[in-house]
Amino acid sequence: MTKLHSMTCTAAFLVGASAVHAANIEFWYGNTGKIEEAIQAHCAAFNEAQTVHRITCVGQGGYEAGMQKAIAAYRSRQHPVLIQFFDAGTLDLMLSDAVVPVQEIMPDAPWNDYINGARSYYETSAGELISQPYNGSTLIFYANMEMLGEAGIDEVPQTWEGAMEAARQLKDAGVACPFTTDAHPWRVLEQFSARHGAPIASNNNGYGGLDAEYTFNGGPVADHMLNLAAWREEGLVKLDQDTVAGKYNAAFNAGECAMMEASTGSYGAAYGALGNKVKISMAPMYDGVERRNTLIGGASIWVMKGHDDADYEAARSFLDFVRDVDQQIEFTRRTGYMPVTKAALASLVESGKADTLEFATAEMGVASLNQPGDENSRGIRLGFYVQFREVFKEETQKAFNGDQTMQTALDNAVSRGNELLRRFEQTYQGAILP
Amino acid sequence: MRSRLVLVAGAARIASMTRGFYTGRLSYWSLVLPILVLIVMFFYIPVALAFFWSFFLERPFGGGSEFVGFQNYGRVLSDPEFWNAMWRTLIFMVVAPGLAIGLSLILALAADRSIRISQAARNIIIWPKAVAGASIGVVFVFIFNPFLGIFAPLNEISPGIWNPRIDGADAFITVVIAQIWNGIPFNFIILLSGLQAIPDMLAKAAAMDGSGPWRRIVDLQLPLLTPQLFLTFVLEFVGTVVEAFGLIDTMTEGGPGGATNLLIYKIYVDGFKAYDLSGAATQTALLMMFVIVMVILQFRLERFVKYER
Repeated sequence: MTKLHSMTCTAAFLVGASAVHAANIEFWYGNTGKIEEAIQAHCAAFNEAQTVHRITCVGQGGYEAGMQKAIAAYRSRQHPVLIQFFDAGTLDLMLSDAVVPVQEIMPDAPWNDYINGARSYYETSAGELISQPYNGSTLIFYANMEMLGEAGIDEVPQTWEGAMEAARQLKDAGVACPFTTDAHPWRVLEQFSARHGAPIASNNNGYGGLDAEYTFNGGPVADHMLNLAAWREEGLVKLDQDTVAGKYNAAFNAGECAMMEASTGSYGAAYGALGNKVKISMAPMYDGVERRNTLIGGASIWVMKGHDDADYEAARSFLDFVRDVDQQIEFTRRTGYMPVTKAALASLVESGKADTLEFATAEMGVASLNQPGDENSRGIRLGFYVQFREVFKEETQKAFNGDQTMQTALDNAVSRGNELLRRFEQTYQGAILP
Repeated sequence: MRSRLVLVAGAARIASMTRGFYTGRLSYWSLVLPILVLIVMFFYIPVALAFFWSFFLERPFGGGSEFVGFQNYGRVLSDPEFWNAMWRTLIFMVVAPGLAIGLSLILALAADRSIRISQAARNIIIWPKAVAGASIGVVFVFIFNPFLGIFAPLNEISPGIWNPRIDGADAFITVVIAQIWNGIPFNFIILLSGLQAIPDMLAKAAAMDGSGPWRRIVDLQLPLLTPQLFLTFVLEFVGTVVEAFGLIDTMTEGGPGGATNLLIYKIYVDGFKAYDLSGAATQTALLMMFVIVMVILQFRLERFVKYER
């Protein structure tokens, strides 16, 4: 018995010794469809490229579902080493005490190479990146040039005034749906306010502390929301529910709508459906407002606490791998997401591929993210923000239904949002915003 | 709820059986323990945790949780959105079971009379029971599509008259119809079997005394059917509170503008999409108390049920 025992011990020691730094780690992600395939390709390529570590990538069926499962897993100490989380959950995670800042476990990685719009969204007040930007997107403007051409328009409008002028012409030419959006807060609130340099909340959208308050019921955002409602009355703007297709991007791809505001991530499907008719441009501005950067959408990779050194060694190696220029370009090609480092973008431009249709969104999107920023275009750092998005959608939908005015909707969204912020502040009493 | 009643009955039976069929304590405990463990794990512990969390401000990932007394209850009870969701739940609880039982009753009465194709109907009406709530949701979204569905011609006559994607009332009606469609098969089986169990002699005797079919329904069949009506009523009532979830999730996600945001769906969104664990726990506790009160009220109605024939 003792002999057997000592033999097992020796064997265990030998196995341990031969693979001091080797680890099997898990990476949880939320995307599905084509993007999931690209993520799985990343994982397979990583496992093939080296033999020390193994990564198992597990799809959770959605960003929100991924977060739920991570919360449950963390509470029962079954959580993975790496996890992908989406933009709106940033502050919840920052204060969760469940993650290690990437810059802390990998101090020597080229963090300054990340493009500005991607950095500012995911960095602490001290300028330290807390998670590694992975699949980055941003808001751009899409036009169906064939439909615009039939109405006598040959250029993509750059301003809201221009876009609505074009919409009127399209309407007169018999187009039932000139411009479409789903009025999701990511589009009409966050991306709009960032590029117009207007805050949606005090303390620079919460970057200055947890006692921020929503302020968007006055100023440029409110004006724009009132305009959207009026333009919809006029028949220039169609929401999801007004379209036959039932979804703004499907309606654009089906040739029902002539223009839309959408993520760079929508490009693949739009190009697949409409080919050369699709032309893209930076999201429209109001006349006379200086253009600021748009915000990065999509998601980033976070390192979770409570694992041993070997696991973190594997995590570092995977994060380095996906940062690799060729890996990023391949990911961009497969998904329509943008390169997130300057090196990857430079390499893409240098290779001449940036001009090809496959990569059409890369330069446009990065250019939009790299516009000069100000303290209101860094990002959104507000608590229970996912819940706030639901509140915003609910209140503005009631306004679009005609149950209340848009101004009332915005006032209600602000006061309900402020209640959420106060509760968040109380929940994280004593926590310091990193 | 039901399983708990069964459990209580089971426990009482165990006490009386000690001296009977089972020879040792071990054998009956080994029979009862598995179900007991399951119920404790998946019912009592979660319920206890919900009540516990409703007195704390709980961080999603754990760590600091702060005792706040009844503050969560104060917040939820003064939140108009909670009362809106509660009110919608109540309307849904009355309308959907009422129609689901009423329609099932008509179908069962018809199928019970040996009219043409009633044999076939008895089979066919039961089939929808095999379809999951989420699947029904997907199908009904298509059936009620404002541009392609069955009401699309209405929109051609008067554009915008039917659009459950933007009109809250239309959306609510859509969910109610789906829930009723979902509920009919089970109610139909129960009510039909109840009707068939009523002895033939009674109907024959009544007919000889000169009462027509309508008279027999009102004075004979319905009073004798009260046990089945009561059963479907209780199950439908509780079912609408929790089962509507799958339909809402696939059909409307609580929209448009919160028009179909029943309490059960609001709890899901608050807890799982928005990481507001304390708020969701508080609402769960309130919903549970509401259901318990409702069921107690219903069991007071049981006095009017005639189990003896």
